[in-house]
Amino acid sequence: MNYLRTILLLSLAAAGYASDVKIIVNSSVSAESISANELKSIFLATSTSLGGSHLEPVLEKGGPVHEAFVKEYLGKTDAALETYYRSLVFTGKGSMPKALASDAEVVAYVAKTKGAIGYVGAGAGTAGVKTLEVK
Amino acid sequence: MNIRVFVMAAALSTAPGFLYGQVDLHLAGRDLQVHGFLSEGFAYSNANNYLTMDTTSGSFFTEGGLNVSTQITDKFRVGAQVYVRDIGHFGQWAPELDWAMGDYKFKSWFGVRAGKVKTTFGLYNDSQDMEFLQTWALLPQSIYAVDQRSSYIAHTGGDLYGSVSPKRMGTFSYVVWAGGNPNDLNGGYAYALSTIGVNYKTYGGRSEGADLRWATPLSGVTVGASYMKRDVVGDGTWAFYGTVAPVHEESNKEYLQQFYAQYDHGKFHADAEYRRYFRGILVNYSLPVTDDTRSWYASAAYRVHKRLELGSYYSHFVDVRPYTGLPSTDPGSYVHDKVVSARVDINRHAYFKLEGHFMSGYAEYALVRGFYGPDNPNGFSRLTNMLVLRTGFNF
Repeated sequence: MNYLRTILLLSLAAAGYASDVKIIVNSSVSAESISANELKSIFLATSTSLGGSHLEPVLEKGGPVHEAFVKEYLGKTDAALETYYRSLVFTGKGSMPKALASDAEVVAYVAKTKGAIGYVGAGAGTAGVKTLEVK
Repeated sequence: MNIRVFVMAAALSTAPGFLYGQVDLHLAGRDLQVHGFLSEGFAYSNANNYLTMDTTSGSFFTEGGLNVSTQITDKFRVGAQVYVRDIGHFGQWAPELDWAMGDYKFKSWFGVRAGKVKTTFGLYNDSQDMEFLQTWALLPQSIYAVDQRSSYIAHTGGDLYGSVSPKRMGTFSYVVWAGGNPNDLNGGYAYALSTIGVNYKTYGGRSEGADLRWATPLSGVTVGASYMKRDVVGDGTWAFYGTVAPVHEESNKEYLQQFYAQYDHGKFHADAEYRRYFRGILVNYSLPVTDDTRSWYASAAYRVHKRLELGSYYSHFVDVRPYTGLPSTDPGSYVHDKVVSARVDINRHAYFKLEGHFMSGYAEYALVRGFYGPDNPNGFSRLTNMLVLRTGFNF
């Protein structure tokens, strides 16, 4: 019984952790949802489009929202993600994504940039952008 | 004070101030990304001079690079990188065009790169000269030999590449490529031949190959395989017994196969790779020379602190069919290297590494595995212990 209770508590904790982050896109993007695998592919630069729209990923420079997103959706540490992007940049096989300082900056950039996709904290205001459901 | 140490110390002391992120420039309405790196190393061994350096006395070495790239359209990107190194006889500060290309990505599953392109082969072939991406001060030399860098690092030609992510099956990525190989007369092969009187005026050719990797549905597990076929020609002179004669070599049958696996879980990272390299050449159109080597390594690293990563690897190289006629159990046919390493990240852009190598064997020098007869005129010791320090920054 204790075992089941522990699993239930961990599941609830994990669900709460995932919901700490919202995925936002520019309103030009037609999709309403994105799979976890698609999200990972876009932020690791192996995929560049969703539902026919070209996407440009935007990062936060650091902080709890960034760390939660990187761990939950990309399965990496911040240091490992930076190394990954640098390996693309220095072999000529990719560019460094734009990195912004706060939720507000990410929302503002995504709102004005066609195809931009980013992540913000669950409590951040998202006026002018579309929130994607992660399936 | 050694001028290199001074330059590196000055650079590191100023790095935290101006190296937060890339340098962004704007030119003719476009955003340009500028990135660079500089790395200074020091190697000291108790026996056997290594990688053409005087490591038994202590020797410095340097690598650096600078690139510029820009996104022309959503799908089209161009860029170029200049690379320079000075490692014993290798590089000798001669700047080289590391890569320069255009990249057009039609779809996620299909793109084209053309120009001078870094060759995707195994986990790290295309980034082997950027040790700041790794825990290690020296990558496993059984596969990513410093003295053979220029033979495999890039091709002048093109890539077809792409990725597909079938439902619940992870992501498959492929690269198919073909092109000309660099003509590097400052690399290990040309150096090895020069020590027996062969001086090439030209050495290069073409190669083609493919890489297929699968980021599996198992979290953090990637596996893959690569294949390369080479067709290389060298021309020069051979001085022996007071005479100088023309010499010519060409590939008869030359290929590399590589298999690899990688595992990432949080702060833990592990790699394993295996390579077979078969090299059959004809010298002066008639004399066959054959080598058949096996290389593999296994490595693991763990980030014990935000700024500290510890790791270890075992690297194994053996020629199972050396042209020298030595048995594969002779130290002249193999190099086994046990390595322990610590990486300290001073900040996001500057680091320091401390690494111990415990090597057995020295692989006869024409096999181009770091140990050369002329650099060790008193003969080889079977065992070599070596300390490597490395520091650098990138932005």
